[in-house]
Amino acid sequence: MARYGMALDYKNCINCKACEVACKEENGVELGAEKHRIWVGGNNPEGQWPFLDIASAAFMPSQCQHCEDAPCQEVCPTNATYYDENHVVRVDSDKCILCSYCMNACPYDARYVDDRTMTVDKCTFCSDTRLARGETTTACQNTCPTKVRTFGDLDDPNSEISELLRTREHFSLKSHLGTNPKLFYLT
Amino acid sequence: MKVGPLNIPIKEDFSLKSILDFEKTPLNIFLAVSVLTMLAMFAIGVITYLIHGHHAYGVTREHPWGLLIAVYIFFVVSSTGFCIVGSLGDVFGFKRFEMISKRAIFGSIVTIMAGFAVIAFEIGHPVRMMIYNVLTPGLTSAIWWMGTLYGLYLTFMIVEFYFLLNDDMKRAKIFGLTGLLVGLAAHSNLGGVFGFLNARTISNGVYYPTYFILTAFITGIYLSFIVMGFRYKLNFDDKVKDLLEGLAKIQGLLIAILFFFMTWKLLTDMYGGMPNRADVAHHMLHTAPFWAEVIFAMLIPFLVILKDFGKSPKLMFFASLIGMVGIFFMRYNLVHDTQVKPLQMMKLTEYQLPPEWVEYFPSATEIMISLGGLGLCILLYYVGTKAFNLDATH
Repeated sequence: MARYGMALDYKNCINCKACEVACKEENGVELGAEKHRIWVGGNNPEGQWPFLDIASAAFMPSQCQHCEDAPCQEVCPTNATYYDENHVVRVDSDKCILCSYCMNACPYDARYVDDRTMTVDKCTFCSDTRLARGETTTACQNTCPTKVRTFGDLDDPNSEISELLRTREHFSLKSHLGTNPKLFYLT
Repeated sequence: MKVGPLNIPIKEDFSLKSILDFEKTPLNIFLAVSVLTMLAMFAIGVITYLIHGHHAYGVTREHPWGLLIAVYIFFVVSSTGFCIVGSLGDVFGFKRFEMISKRAIFGSIVTIMAGFAVIAFEIGHPVRMMIYNVLTPGLTSAIWWMGTLYGLYLTFMIVEFYFLLNDDMKRAKIFGLTGLLVGLAAHSNLGGVFGFLNARTISNGVYYPTYFILTAFITGIYLSFIVMGFRYKLNFDDKVKDLLEGLAKIQGLLIAILFFFMTWKLLTDMYGGMPNRADVAHHMLHTAPFWAEVIFAMLIPFLVILKDFGKSPKLMFFASLIGMVGIFFMRYNLVHDTQVKPLQMMKLTEYQLPPEWVEYFPSATEIMISLGGLGLCILLYYVGTKAFNLDATH
């Protein structure tokens, strides 16, 4: 049993969106802008020319944070949202009643409605696809040309992600909410 | 009275003919046509939903809860309010309020049924909900507690109504008290559905679970004026006037408390320094539905009560109609304002223009189903007045 997480060296992101495409392709995510499990966020540079704040212009890839204390899991009335054996936050589509409470409770806008099953869908760290086939990387990580993403077991001290988190400063998104995300942004 | 199935006393002349037999005044005909139109809209709305799913609604990824959630809350708040008013007489023993108990408890049953009819077409899988609510209950979920307790509450209300019809006041009191407590627990859990959202700072906290109980009582009193107004065609005898004056005085106090609650909620929102809360509160102040809520649900009825301390029941009837319009906006605002602030995950240049506020407007399907819920509620109540003796008999 692992405790999967992901580290993102987000300053390396070049906004090529290969990760978004790979995610949709690998996991059979519906087409359409609203239907996305992962995304590349962006900030336009702040300030006025010629005093543009170039440092503020950044690309920030993001997705479900696979929180240790996930608000989406706590609010699910049928326990359709659950932590699997690898601490990945998953949705059992057979139990999801589409009350959309989790979509409202998620602070990260990481959930959407899959129109084919009429249930809520989200990132699974490729648990149903790549991990199920025995691979050790996610589709978004595997395709990234600048190696932004590092996926791995946080409980394994020898894993690449553990090494990164030991040696690089990092932060989590909206950590003040007490959700304990397992996505770490390297600085 | 004749005795129907399960020993339920129903009126001698109750039949389909008696339902269609009403005084053909212009107002009654208008009401009948309106109800039929609303029911037709319900059918059209439901069929559209069944064909197109949530695409028939105006809801989005950023604004997943829409008008139907607001209307569901509107109906269940009405039900809890009716239950509180009904309990004044037969649970707490206030003699002057006993004459409305049976009518109010029946009102609580029909309003929650209308609420369930509406929410059934908002929840994606209502049947699956009933199965997995039992098989794998999410005990940390306010929705689970709210739904489960409301189911129990409806049962208790029906049993209480049964005993009221049979003039078994002792048992009615036991089930009435249990139903009231379960109803209040359910209702505060509904507030908790919003209060638990730590991603939505405008709603997070203890405010809504308590405020819901207060506004339920206020809604129950507005509805009491409306049903009594129709019952007596605004020609109130002294006993009814005494009842309504008492209710109006309570209402004055409750609205004053609500003003106090809302003022402090807004002040702490705006000046409490909580990220993402102050700007939403300022935004709310600049929207028409917020002022519709304040003026219709609170200000106008409050001024009518202050005019002569609740001694104008006819005027209060009309103020209550306006009040219920305000209560609708109160529910709509609650749902919309909770979601109006984008979650700011920097999806700025990719999928959407930088949104200052999340936009939402109900679709025609949502509006038709909502009006249909109202039509269903009025129809059920009307049939109830034809089938049962809702006046006090003791």
